[in-house]
Amino acid sequence: MSHDCMTPVQRFAAYGRGEAIDRLPCVPIVGNTAARIVGARVSDFRGNGKLIADAQVAAYRRFGYDVIRIFTDLYTQAEAMGARVHYPDDETAYLAAPAIDSVEQIATLQPANPHTDGNLPAHLEAMSRAVDAVGAEVVVTGALTGPFTTASFLIGTETLVRLMLKNPAAVHQLCEIALQGAIDYAKAILDTGCTPSLTDAMCSTTVISPKQFRQFGQPYLTRLVEFIHSHGRPVTLHICGKTRSIWGQMCETGADCLSIDNAADLGEAKSIVGDRARLMGNVSPSEIMLQGTPEQVREAVRECVRKAHDNPKGLIVASGCSLPVETPFANIDAMLNAVRKIGWPVYIEEGMETAWKA
Amino acid sequence: MPANETELFQALSDAVVGMDEDRARKLAIEAVVRNIDAYTAIERGLVDGMGRAGELFESEEYFIPELLLCSDAMYAGLDILRPHLKVEDANQRRFKVVIGVVEGDTHDIGKNLVRIMLEASGFDVIDLGRDIPAQRFVDTAVTENADVIALSTLMTTTMDAMAEVVDKLEASKLRERFKVIVGGGPISPAFAKRIHADGYANSAPNAVKLVKQLAGVPA
Repeated sequence: MSHDCMTPVQRFAAYGRGEAIDRLPCVPIVGNTAARIVGARVSDFRGNGKLIADAQVAAYRRFGYDVIRIFTDLYTQAEAMGARVHYPDDETAYLAAPAIDSVEQIATLQPANPHTDGNLPAHLEAMSRAVDAVGAEVVVTGALTGPFTTASFLIGTETLVRLMLKNPAAVHQLCEIALQGAIDYAKAILDTGCTPSLTDAMCSTTVISPKQFRQFGQPYLTRLVEFIHSHGRPVTLHICGKTRSIWGQMCETGADCLSIDNAADLGEAKSIVGDRARLMGNVSPSEIMLQGTPEQVREAVRECVRKAHDNPKGLIVASGCSLPVETPFANIDAMLNAVRKIGWPVYIEEGMETAWKA
Repeated sequence: MPANETELFQALSDAVVGMDEDRARKLAIEAVVRNIDAYTAIERGLVDGMGRAGELFESEEYFIPELLLCSDAMYAGLDILRPHLKVEDANQRRFKVVIGVVEGDTHDIGKNLVRIMLEASGFDVIDLGRDIPAQRFVDTAVTENADVIALSTLMTTTMDAMAEVVDKLEASKLRERFKVIVGGGPISPAFAKRIHADGYANSAPNAVKLVKQLAGVPA
């Protein structure tokens, strides 16, 4: 367990005020890996808010990181609106079939009721329980999928991206419904005492163009961020894959913190948007956290810190995306311990350098 | 309508780049009506257009939505022209790729782009779809007498399913018969090497280059 002098809540508060802290905030984004902490199967999380909360709280206590994120997969909202999700016995769930398969069916969709539909009630219960258990010491967030991404799960990604060019009005109609669902769910998340944490995976420029993001992603994200801000909470926005050409637009949504995938560069993000948003990232979840050694994790952490510790709006050392289920505990420990060793003010020991030659 | 063959090929190519499915179809019909060699119309028109679309994708002027609509136009033209291929063109033995998303994953846009670009480059592609058990890759490669097995995944949870395909090939003493190539978000060259795959590509255009290398054709 940790030897930190501050709780995550104290650390974030002091960091935000520019006061002394014991170390940089650090968030290995633990999702279904939490099942391994409590000896559960990933599919046991389905519909079981108490187990999700127990596992997430246990994982936080085991590693001592700074944000708990109640998250199992990106499909919960789409599932609650009719998408079919497959739950393998002990792996992360995946989309089996979208809710609808034609434009004509869009009108049949309804925004989900967070208190009755799909697995949303279980996730809300998990959030509520985690806040009750450790909310005084650690930030507890609830995963919220962005409207464009949920729209892609509702009608199928290929169909959606074709419609962007052929029938933009239909895409907007779908995003409006997804947005309404997201706002209702965000409200319920806020009511548990949790902060919604936004992911809009499909907005990545690995998939769509910056112009398409401006047209179909950004407006809905902006309204969602405004809603969360109106409840006095800051917003972290994660978009997977390549995002360099939309960092400015991500800031325009009002997001306070950008969570950057390992496909992007933290140093560049600092120079382009560092005065507008806190940055979070970006150790590779697969290559380093899952498959690497603790020494590779430490070096990757040092690299992130070198690049962005002086980011004007601050840095959260994190994985570039949610961790794979089987990420070795030793690598998660190595991430936290590397950040502890670097300390605050940041000091990276000479002689440990291997990659930094520039 | 274009005045001569060359202009018609150019127009077909432009229709693909311009994502104009209807125009690609009409121009393909026009090629058939004018008794233009179907193979040449495909190569110099549709395939040329898809190649240009691939270049625009690489230079980030086109993104996945545009590339998909370009491929819709290409396939619309192909549907018209393929039945008119000369028997020797239609039946020539082409380098064959079995492709699919491994079991446990349904993200298939990346795989679809690779299929499209491979087909546009003249390869024979058997697309198994998504969430495909390892054994089906092996069985299909055998029955289809394929040259390459191409595996895709976006999820870290399903990376091991790629190793399973290689292991099954080894267990069945079939490993030498097929080249195995891998790609997708969490995949790295190091991972490809570790599971003893024969190649890795980080994008659809690079997957085409890789398959060309394996097939021994100039890129």
